[in-house]
Amino acid sequence: MREHRWTHAHLSAYLDHELPDDERRRVEEHVGICPHCRRVLATLRRTLERLRGLSGEPQPRVAEGVIERLRAED
Amino acid sequence: MRSPTAEDEAVLVERARSRDRLAFEELVRRHANRLYAVVLRFLADPADAEEVTQETFLRAWRGIDRFQGRSQFFTWLYRIGLNEAKRLATRQPPAGKVRSLEDEPVPEAPDWSEAPEVRLGQGEIRRVLEDAIRALPTEYRAPLVLRDIEGLSTKDAAEVMELREAAFKSRLHRARLAVRRSLDEYFLEAEK
Repeated sequence: MREHRWTHAHLSAYLDHELPDDERRRVEEHVGICPHCRRVLATLRRTLERLRGLSGEPQPRVAEGVIERLRAED
Repeated sequence: MRSPTAEDEAVLVERARSRDRLAFEELVRRHANRLYAVVLRFLADPADAEEVTQETFLRAWRGIDRFQGRSQFFTWLYRIGLNEAKRLATRQPPAGKVRSLEDEPVPEAPDWSEAPEVRLGQGEIRRVLEDAIRALPTEYRAPLVLRDIEGLSTKDAAEVMELREAAFKSRLHRARLAVRRSLDEYFLEAEK
């Protein structure tokens, strides 16, 4: 149970490659034997891929609007 | 060693600190779009987001002397914009039900990690994601927007939020789990 909770709390850091090697191995060992954590890790990874695809379209008039106000202020 | 772009930006900031408005306008062109996209995640109305973006740059221009260069220019700028957006957002009625961040498992949820994109309806998934993000409390939404959507590093995003990295990572993880759970619920429903 302790390993389960510890792993669950470190899945994001694992996906972000922000764990030292020993902790990375600790996650992988637990995920290897725990179907629940394996599923959360796989779906969390997919969630992040989808979130990264939400980045907005360019809005050129935003910069122009700011620059107009800057010029009007000076 | 700093990248040529960071070097170039440092020169622009230095010129702007000497009241070179054209240099500051170049900084506006570089950052206005992304700042607007961040701010829009906290305000329902695009006109409000545009207003906050403009105000943020005006405040940055008036106060650029106070920018010490210890952080990157854009983290300083985002901090001003984010604080202004959150201040305005608290005055507005919530856009939807704020979601609990308890990560209770969704019983019987399918493993959708390998689900082929074509079968899912991209627009539908996007809507589920957008709703899940909007339902996050702002202190959890901000890490997710900065790190996962806008692609800032953990260090830079934590700096924007004036949080220690450990606290930032903890909020980010809880926010990601909440969004993941929304997709669990969606796929469970879709399977029925």
